[in-house]
Amino acid sequence: MEQSFARRSLRDIAAVLTVAVFMFPLFWWALTSIKPMYAIFNKDEVVVFDFVPTLINYAVVLLGWSRAEIAIESGSTFGVGGTSSYDSRQTIVDSIVIAVGSTGLTIIIAVLAAYALSRMRFRGRSGFLNWVLGQRFLPPIAIIVPLVGMYKVAGMRDTDNLFLGYVGLIVIHALMNLPIAVLLLKSFFDDVPKDVDEAAMIDGATRWQTFRKVVLPMVRGGVAAAAVLCFIFSWTEFLLALFLTTIIRTVPVKITTFVTSTGSEWGFISALGTAAILPGFIFILLVQRHLVRGLTLGSLKE
Amino acid sequence: MSEAVLERPSAGFLPKWRWLSSEHPLPWLLPASALMIVFGIYPLLYALWLSLHKRNPVTRLNVFDPDYNWMKAFGDQRVWDAIATTFLYTGIALVIQLVLGLLIALLLDSDRKGYGVLRALMTLPLVVPPAVTGMMFLLMLDGSFGVLSRSLYAIGLLSPQYPILANSSTALAGVLLADIWQWTPFMVLIMLAGLRSLPKEPFEAAAIDGASSIQAFFKLTLPMMSKVIGIAVLIRGIDLFRVFDYVKVMTDSGPGTATETLTSYSGRIYFNGDFPYASTLSLITLILVIVASTLFMKIFRVKL
Repeated sequence: MEQSFARRSLRDIAAVLTVAVFMFPLFWWALTSIKPMYAIFNKDEVVVFDFVPTLINYAVVLLGWSRAEIAIESGSTFGVGGTSSYDSRQTIVDSIVIAVGSTGLTIIIAVLAAYALSRMRFRGRSGFLNWVLGQRFLPPIAIIVPLVGMYKVAGMRDTDNLFLGYVGLIVIHALMNLPIAVLLLKSFFDDVPKDVDEAAMIDGATRWQTFRKVVLPMVRGGVAAAAVLCFIFSWTEFLLALFLTTIIRTVPVKITTFVTSTGSEWGFISALGTAAILPGFIFILLVQRHLVRGLTLGSLKE
Repeated sequence: MSEAVLERPSAGFLPKWRWLSSEHPLPWLLPASALMIVFGIYPLLYALWLSLHKRNPVTRLNVFDPDYNWMKAFGDQRVWDAIATTFLYTGIALVIQLVLGLLIALLLDSDRKGYGVLRALMTLPLVVPPAVTGMMFLLMLDGSFGVLSRSLYAIGLLSPQYPILANSSTALAGVLLADIWQWTPFMVLIMLAGLRSLPKEPFEAAAIDGASSIQAFFKLTLPMMSKVIGIAVLIRGIDLFRVFDYVKVMTDSGPGTATETLTSYSGRIYFNGDFPYASTLSLITLILVIVASTLFMKIFRVKL
């Protein structure tokens, strides 16, 4: 359809404005993280650019600077006080351990199940698929309360045993990501013609060899996409981590502890928040192509 | 799959142990099944068991009393309020996100230069941890120095005397704003995929017949997109129904119980230590999710 120049430009402007509106909270968030305190908490006017940028907020949450050091660095004692710890280095390590661990576990388990569901015909196949799908519908709140009880009995809470505490949360994140990984990977396996398997097996390869040496290498891109999505979902998860752990703090849980009854440390919150968003941004741009497929559990392809 | 393949002797396994070989589906599905049974099915059964017990707050022991928690939930006004809030939240968010998502998708569906970048930018909100999103909006909606609040004061939509999150009639709107910002891109993305998969011919035919683009949208685009819309609404609806993060971070169910959803109410009961009642409430959430999604799939013939 021919569109006039005026209509086209109008559309361009509307498109850019819409995206700009959606980018504004991110921009404001990142901007807040480099603002000194007086610019954030200014009650007389909204400070947009009229401030001296500072990296102090990042130094506190990512390098563990103390409040005394801030006071010396900034030459001002405004708002310096309190004893809360804003050092988030351990939190970031915790989040990485949980996200990487659960992604690895999910992918290993899911890739096996997805292959069988894509390639084998057996009784209960559709039942199993529905079970996996049903798992996606399950509200986490429904299993978290009994899980805490289970972990208590099994001595798996992080207050009982720190290592088992990590394992406990990793396993639950793996369970949460299992449906999306299985269904997404199945859709990638379905894209590989079955002739490939049959040719390999006629040549004398076992199922396992066929899977390992022939089919799996062909869906490498799909495995990467599934892994990225699992990582992001684990990295951003809040409810399960909040309920299950007390010593181990993932980033989303830690960040909520910066809100105190005496006021919120917005500088530190936005610094940790910005740092927490960045890995997701990088990863999401890597899997742009498979995003729709992942979010719809393999049922829509782009 | 050919018979010959199925009949192949499984290397080195006696017939009795065949199910252990890679020719059999069992070893492939075993790890996934084990995970889903131990950490999915078992906790659910345990929740059911808990919900049939009454907790004695003094001795902290659970005594078998099958209808105690269920009757308590039935007579608990807060449960009904939470259910109403949950449905209201889900409904409003779903409609706004779907309509906005469709409109933005139509706007961004162009092959011209620069639109690819705009589409990529549009996906960024999806990867922000919801708890962080809640924080972002908490900052922007702050009653005294929040940039959004102050803009709303400036154009007279809001009065500084009634900060949006501190007022029980507007708090839910504040929380919804965060949800809409984060998840409209989800709809945009899926609608874009749907739009791009539409065949070109019907639209060319309609244009020749002199149909306007608005007619083409309602008569062609929408009907052909129904499957995509159904899937998007189903997935989003299920996630909306268990909303927790934004409510917990932004208002903690307040002011009063104005923004209390089912999940956040069971969370509160859980932190108060009444596990049996918390389990009952979470099972009610589960039952409602199953009933609502099954009805939706049946009525609109949606299949994932």
